[in-house]
Amino acid sequence: MTALIPRLRVVRPRSVEEAVAARCKHLASSYIAGGTDLLVNLRHQLRSPELLIDLSQIDELTEIRGEDQGIRIGAGVSLAKLAAHLTVAADYQAVKEAAETIAAPGHRVLGTVGGNLCLDTRCIFYNQSGWWRRANGYCLKHLGDVCHVAPQGQRCHAPFTGDLAPALMVLGAEVEIAGLQGRRWIPLPNLYVEDGRAHVALADGELIVAVHLPAAGWRSAYSKVRVRGAIDYPLAGVAVALAVKDGVTRLLQIGLTGTNSRPFLLSGTEVAIGRAIDDSLLQDIDRLVQKQVQPMRTTIVSAQYRRLAAAAIARRLTERLFLESISYAS
Amino acid sequence: MSVSQAAGARLKGVPLIDGLEKVTGRARYTTDLDHADALVGRIFRSPVSHGEMIHLNVAKARALEGVVAVVTGDDCPHPYGVLPIAMNEFPLARGRVRYRGEPVAAVAAVDAETAARALELIEFSVRELPAYYTSEEARATGAVQLHENKPGNLEREVHHEFGDLAQGFAAADLVREEQINCAEINHAQIEPHACLAAFDPLSASLTVQSVSQVGYYLHLMLSQCLEMDSSRIRVVKPFIGGGFGARVEVLNFEIVTALLARAAGGKVMMQLTREENFLTHRARPQTNVKLRIGMRRDGRITACQCEVIQRGGAYAGYGIITILYAGALLHGIYDIPAVKYDGYRVYTNLPPCGAMRGHGSVNVRHAIECGIDRMARELGLDPFEVRRVNLLHAPTRTLSGLIVNSYGLGNCLDVVERASGWRERIGKLPRGKGLGMACSHYVSGASKPIHFSTGEPHAVVNLKLDFDGGITALTGAADIGQGSSTMVAIAVGETIGVSLDRIRVVAADSAVTPKDNGAYSSRITFMVGNAAIDAANKLKAILVAAAASKLDARAEDIACAGETFWVGGAEQSSLHFADVAKAALADRGTITVSGAFTCPPEYQGGKHRGGAVGGTMGFSYAAQVVEVTVDEATGKITVDKVWAALDCGRAINPLAVEGQIQGSVWMGMGQALSEETRYVQGLPMHASLLEYHVPTIAESPPIEAHIVESHDPFGPFGAKEASEGALAGFPPALVNAVANAIGVDMDELPLTPDRVVEALVERRRQARLASIRGAA
Repeated sequence: MTALIPRLRVVRPRSVEEAVAARCKHLASSYIAGGTDLLVNLRHQLRSPELLIDLSQIDELTEIRGEDQGIRIGAGVSLAKLAAHLTVAADYQAVKEAAETIAAPGHRVLGTVGGNLCLDTRCIFYNQSGWWRRANGYCLKHLGDVCHVAPQGQRCHAPFTGDLAPALMVLGAEVEIAGLQGRRWIPLPNLYVEDGRAHVALADGELIVAVHLPAAGWRSAYSKVRVRGAIDYPLAGVAVALAVKDGVTRLLQIGLTGTNSRPFLLSGTEVAIGRAIDDSLLQDIDRLVQKQVQPMRTTIVSAQYRRLAAAAIARRLTERLFLESISYAS
Repeated sequence: MSVSQAAGARLKGVPLIDGLEKVTGRARYTTDLDHADALVGRIFRSPVSHGEMIHLNVAKARALEGVVAVVTGDDCPHPYGVLPIAMNEFPLARGRVRYRGEPVAAVAAVDAETAARALELIEFSVRELPAYYTSEEARATGAVQLHENKPGNLEREVHHEFGDLAQGFAAADLVREEQINCAEINHAQIEPHACLAAFDPLSASLTVQSVSQVGYYLHLMLSQCLEMDSSRIRVVKPFIGGGFGARVEVLNFEIVTALLARAAGGKVMMQLTREENFLTHRARPQTNVKLRIGMRRDGRITACQCEVIQRGGAYAGYGIITILYAGALLHGIYDIPAVKYDGYRVYTNLPPCGAMRGHGSVNVRHAIECGIDRMARELGLDPFEVRRVNLLHAPTRTLSGLIVNSYGLGNCLDVVERASGWRERIGKLPRGKGLGMACSHYVSGASKPIHFSTGEPHAVVNLKLDFDGGITALTGAADIGQGSSTMVAIAVGETIGVSLDRIRVVAADSAVTPKDNGAYSSRITFMVGNAAIDAANKLKAILVAAAASKLDARAEDIACAGETFWVGGAEQSSLHFADVAKAALADRGTITVSGAFTCPPEYQGGKHRGGAVGGTMGFSYAAQVVEVTVDEATGKITVDKVWAALDCGRAINPLAVEGQIQGSVWMGMGQALSEETRYVQGLPMHASLLEYHVPTIAESPPIEAHIVESHDPFGPFGAKEASEGALAGFPPALVNAVANAIGVDMDELPLTPDRVVEALVERRRQARLASIRGAA
């Protein structure tokens, strides 16, 4: 590693409240959990905190705990631990499939649930060295005033590329957030905003403490496309949750990542309710996905491919889950 | 001719002699060297693609506390480069910058922070010139010239024609044209570039330790650029984490580090970031291949016409050689009666391209092997049979004057056809699954060296036998992980009949080892191997004479093997190696012998202009079969299995050969599946190992490596090269397998999922149009 990390201080609070207090006290500070996203951005001079608040010593963050109505996953749980958790594997298949395919094994040992949910958005014009971005006149997301992806536009189109968010969303996740005023719970989709520059709707100092998943009542799956089968961020990722009774759909949720500045639940999936998943319904789903995803030229791979691939995966997973449900029922 | 599966019956081969050091972490790479007291070197790089330098002020950087030296183009008025006829590049830009990332100035400071701050203080401005990022733009009428003496921005045009092309095409039953384009790729060797230079002001001497594959060329360029007597310079090669051609020419940062060390009067460590590695580049150029092949109904190729355009980047580097290789290696693999080649190497405002594993041959081979496959399909012929009817018959001389003495391609075809179950399986796989095959070849060393071509030997190995009973082999050859030091040890051990652990190889230290031209063009096994055998025979003669004297026998009656010397037929009166060595040493003290090898002039290529390129004493040959699964919804290609056979003459170390076959196949897979550079206005979007998609273990298929031995008459023990020949077959075998799987011919490399989906969308569109037309 020859790119420098600027000199900075590190504190290691023992409780969530201590961490939030430290973060609020020091404007130029940043939380750090696994660091797999942050450290690269520090080396690229995209962030310049003077103080890092290391969350690794807070016990509350690292537990996975069964609750009456589901499961509570601490935000500091590593992706590797999440993927290997038996309840997660049994009842929340999409979460397991998302967790076990994030980046590469080394990243998954360090990377955390909270870190993956708060992953910075990514763009080929943004995730570059300081020299590179300066030579290119910077960009709307950082230090500049032009978006090189959509020069006429006023917003940053960098997509969110976390894998866990869509998988958790389709399963009805809520996030527990700690701030100076105490704790609050919001549905996971409400955590995100369609703005590549500020896509996480947390107030200053707020920290994601845990994710709550309700009791499982459906089958779920996650799949994504990327150039390589490891390391790469998703070009498009899709999670599907499906509940089937008597051969017809009771519930269908489709979550998407990698295409927009926020992960989101596909709207319009209620067309499936009361119907069997057949070719015509799969075509409806394909159309819904293609209409709602907004991939831009933020990756080396073409935007149109990401649109087509997202739709193709959504169809494939939905069909697969439906067939599994039917064969399981019979 | 014999065929054996790697790790087969005859000899498994030995692990590399430096392997233990590597796997235990003891091996010291350049950045592991002691640089506690070294200054930190950093390079200021041009932020613009093309411009006249109007202002460069380093005064503020120089004045910063902790900065010990700053150098600019003013500190080195001498160009450097690998080709004496094309040295148009300065270590630090002078007057003009021609690509984003070109080194302009450099600082040496007490620590990395200070060096980084100093770079910020450098003032630099240019009068911008138009910049060209494609061959087409650079060649357009009215384009500004990057180099004054190169109109049309052509670094080199090559036009070669052998045989009667018109007659060849007239004799064909099928003539087919292809336009196939290959993206630029990079070596992406795992160890980033680094250099440690120490200048001693008292003795005015310079020691440079660097990642170079060609330490003696570095030695030469340092002497020229620093205007130093070469006897005052020492170049040492530490362990190297991969070459692949990335370090096969002297690189700007190496000279810059030395300039800084001299200016600072001390030691400077330069470590480049991965981004800077991509900016340094020197890899395989973006290439357009236009192809026209004539074929008879029986598969016999009657003529081949090939136009190649290489987007070469801003400076010459190896460019002339690359564009010549692309044409030269149209020959030497099949018997083609008429061949025409038109090559264009183009200057563009991008990092300079250079040599990369399979130098010059890969993209052209890709196009041809795809073309042959498509024609076979059109004629209803099996692709193996088409190759077979076009085989050469060794020994032979090609139309272009290249000599082929040994030729195992036919055996390679037989081996992979059988191993892959081709005959039973082809055409019977379900949709989405496919098999493809292709062939390739490569030189065993360029017979005509550059710069060093004044009649000196092409390789020298010295051996020292001392009173400790150990044999020290001294070679200038750079072991870059390919196993060349192990090869030298085996060559010496086999020749003298002593065990490997008696031999110590000291390599690539200009103060100690005999000069060597370096690790390029797969020359080391052939040339250094022969030199090692020559030296070993001389040492053996001395030992045999000593044994004869002790045994009171004639030298010609002495036999030796297994560290024992005896009189033929009388094993009871034998002597151990130690006793013989002692006797020999008693006569003359420490024994030093020198062996050499030189490629004879008739092997140094054809007589035509540029004909020296491609000239070699032996070609390796390879055939491979690739099996794929294609997901038509996502465009994802999975390589299920690869069968590769390589004719390396004879495997001196089968274990190493198997590793090299796997590495070649794997690197070809990277180029075929996912690797490519992409620039936006000359800035590399791909300049990290995240965005430059080297395959991961998840993509790595089982590779079944087969060794075919054709016993080259001049190779050391019959050996030829083994490190490059099996690369070029992979991309076309993959494209042919994809065509077999989904019926789509892909004309662009790499076959990323978006390209596959795009091709499928296009096919559906064409089908719709056809059905509309049919309905109307």
